[in-house]
Amino acid sequence: MKKQCSHSNWSVSSADRRSAINELLAGAAVSDEARELLTIALETRELAEPTIVHPGIAMPHCRSILVDEISIIIARSENGIPWPKEKVNVIILFISPVKPSGPQQHMELIRHLARYLRDGGAEAVLNAETAAEAAAVLRFNICESEQNEQGS
Amino acid sequence: MNRDLERLISLHDLDVMIGDLVNKDIRRQEKRLGLSPDDAVAELRKMRDELDSSINRRFRDKYNQLSAHYGNAVVPVVHERCSGCFTQLPTALFASPERNEQVETCPSCGRFIYWAD
Repeated sequence: MKKQCSHSNWSVSSADRRSAINELLAGAAVSDEARELLTIALETRELAEPTIVHPGIAMPHCRSILVDEISIIIARSENGIPWPKEKVNVIILFISPVKPSGPQQHMELIRHLARYLRDGGAEAVLNAETAAEAAAVLRFNICESEQNEQGS
Repeated sequence: MNRDLERLISLHDLDVMIGDLVNKDIRRQEKRLGLSPDDAVAELRKMRDELDSSINRRFRDKYNQLSAHYGNAVVPVVHERCSGCFTQLPTALFASPERNEQVETCPSCGRFIYWAD
């Protein structure tokens, strides 16, 4: 079953990790205050261990009480973003809500990505020319109204 | 937003993150992706201690009590109700123009509450 990608940005302009995370979250349906706190949460996870899941691909992710539905954002930076030791060109960012039922939904998303990034999927995402192409590799649907493919 | 409230929300999200990374199913999936959840947890625990010590002691102690009792100490207000115990909040609380400008608790369960909208 395809997942719903909330937003895409195929021309990330930020030059560092924290700014890039914040830029991506601009596409999420959250208040400015929540966006700042979510940036802190995701950056904290990256400080503990950079979530580079393949050379050139980072996957910042967390669960948070600041969102009430899953937000998935796929993005690309042509020049690459220092993460901070390796440069990252593709970012797959997702945030899941904290639910009384537990982390099942979040775990399912991690499993989904692990599955589709294997066996050449990661290379296909890196070589994708558009967000829609990358999303198709990852079996995501993109909300067309939220799509930002400037420069692609 | 009140600084202590921001820190309490961040502490809660950090506790969730640590909890997820010690969950054996999530650990297995993170390892499949080439990540190292054990290393991440060790670092996150250090960060948690730092954040914890930066919070007003009164709120910190209450946070720890609530977490131990309910499993979650901070919850959003949804449809004018505490989303922890679903109690309808008093009008004076949700109608206040200074929502999130001070640390508020649910009058019924005592959890810290915040407005997400």
